[in-house]
Amino acid sequence: MMATPVPTADLPNKITVRNLDFFYGDHRALKDVTIGLPTNRVTAFIGPSGCGKSTLLRVLNRMYDLYPKQRAEGEVLLDGENILDPRVDLNLLRARVGMVFQKPTPFPMSIYDNIAFGIRLYEKLSKSALNQRVEDALRGAALWDEVKDKLHMSGLGLSGGQQQRLCIARSVAIQPEVILFDEPCSALDPISTAKVEELIDELSERYTIAIVTHNMQQAVRVSDYTAFMYLGELVEFGETDAVFANPREKRTQDYITGRFG
Amino acid sequence: MTATQPVLEKSGARGPAKEGPMADIAWSNMPADAAQTDRARVLKKLGLHDALFRKLTFSAAIVVLLLLGGVILSLVQGSLPAIKAFGFGFLTSQAWNPVSEIFGATPAIYGTVVTSLIAMMLAVPVGLGVAVFLTELCPHPLRRPIGMAIELLAGIPSIIYGIWGLFMLAPFLQQYAQPALISAFADVPVLSTLFAGPPYGIGIMTAGLILGVMVLPFIASISRDVFDTVPPVLKEAASGVGCTTWEVVRHVVLPYTKTGVIGGVMLGLGRALGETMAVTFVIGNAHKISGSLIAPGTTISATIANEFTEAVGDVYTSALIELGLILFVITFFVLAFARLLLTRIERKEGA
Repeated sequence: MMATPVPTADLPNKITVRNLDFFYGDHRALKDVTIGLPTNRVTAFIGPSGCGKSTLLRVLNRMYDLYPKQRAEGEVLLDGENILDPRVDLNLLRARVGMVFQKPTPFPMSIYDNIAFGIRLYEKLSKSALNQRVEDALRGAALWDEVKDKLHMSGLGLSGGQQQRLCIARSVAIQPEVILFDEPCSALDPISTAKVEELIDELSERYTIAIVTHNMQQAVRVSDYTAFMYLGELVEFGETDAVFANPREKRTQDYITGRFG
Repeated sequence: MTATQPVLEKSGARGPAKEGPMADIAWSNMPADAAQTDRARVLKKLGLHDALFRKLTFSAAIVVLLLLGGVILSLVQGSLPAIKAFGFGFLTSQAWNPVSEIFGATPAIYGTVVTSLIAMMLAVPVGLGVAVFLTELCPHPLRRPIGMAIELLAGIPSIIYGIWGLFMLAPFLQQYAQPALISAFADVPVLSTLFAGPPYGIGIMTAGLILGVMVLPFIASISRDVFDTVPPVLKEAASGVGCTTWEVVRHVVLPYTKTGVIGGVMLGLGRALGETMAVTFVIGNAHKISGSLIAPGTTISATIANEFTEAVGDVYTSALIELGLILFVITFFVLAFARLLLTRIERKEGA
């Protein structure tokens, strides 16, 4: 499951964050964060509640832009292009950088349409090509066998774990380059969690993945790199094995051994 | 099986089962006897409270049913003379002659339905537009003022709409809008009939417009409230697959809130169907069906309001009451139709 350790320097970074500050009104939630997310690897963000990990994630696809009074300063480069530039097309950006949320968020429509919806926004496909894409996405999310006979039932009728995999399938269907997971398993039972984790592992072959999690075992299980954040600062970042086995910082050590947080 | 066993043992250890769940609270730190009597007292008191509560709410529900039944009964009873005199012909006749006491409801029904339809055609798109703007697009400082303006619009008494319609809107329509419509559509097949005849200013169209303005705030404010119930994370998810604001509204917000929105629209329609005062001012009170929208007409409630005081003779009064009964039935069918619509939508989704 763990990737063979590859030195960060050798991998091109899909996303590079430089000197990022983030503000909710006057409150500074991120302080001078600099980090690179390696291409086609899983990077986990851990840290106590309120440390800014979800905030950082929401900067990566500019989800914060939906709300007034939230602003980011610094640089976030996606393939070398600064996405904080006001001229960036947000809809296109969010199609390139998909997001899966803490709670499953199926749209109020059928299972099929939940997947097809995002595809239709950007591509004109024939009926059969669209069917194929939906099937591929659902297979990719290990959901096809469970829903293939009820594609036209409401997505809201699925179980929580199935809904979350539906949301992952929805993200995958529009063929993004990066997928952001914001505590994707916190509302799921252990079996669904295992399925989602397996899925993340498979997805990392094709996508660059960032995952926020409160579950340290999960970070160990799914990620290649781990970033520990505390009070809006990036405290430590490195290969997951190294961070958990030999943390350089005392604060990281305290957190992963459960002494605070 | 194995899972339930410890539970059984536990409840066995706690004494007789009939003491119920309340028993657990008092059990732990009280002598057995004292606890027993105390518990019984508390339970008895709670039981009384509950019985009283149940009876109160039950009678409140009954009152509504009795009122509804009473209204229907008295309407039916009041309209019996007219029903005897005209039978079903009342529904199909255009006659309205107080002197010879021959009455028909068609013009009033037609006016009621058509003015309400015009009102909804105006109020639904504008109302939904206002609600979408307020919840999705409006800059924060503007949100409260616009929201309050809507509430104020809803609070204006209908008589004021009537006066405004008669003295401001009708002359304006007569002088500018209606002549322009008549000449513009003179050569268009269907529209030339809809906008035919002299511009009176007052008439079906004016009444419909006034009604539209009156129900607009209802639809806008209810829609805004239900749009606010959409979880932000759902909208984020839609934005997350690359939706524009329009696409978020069209594919997520509206489907998510359709029950509430349809409810709001139906409430507005209910108000438009029954609205009396403002309509009476501007509809022209003519008991005839005209193909033209700018011709004078009448509605059920306007007819009743206009003529009740001067209705002499049993049949005249009874005909007006029967009009009221018809309005009641129309409103009932509108609500029933809304229910049906919602059930069908839900079934289609398989939810």
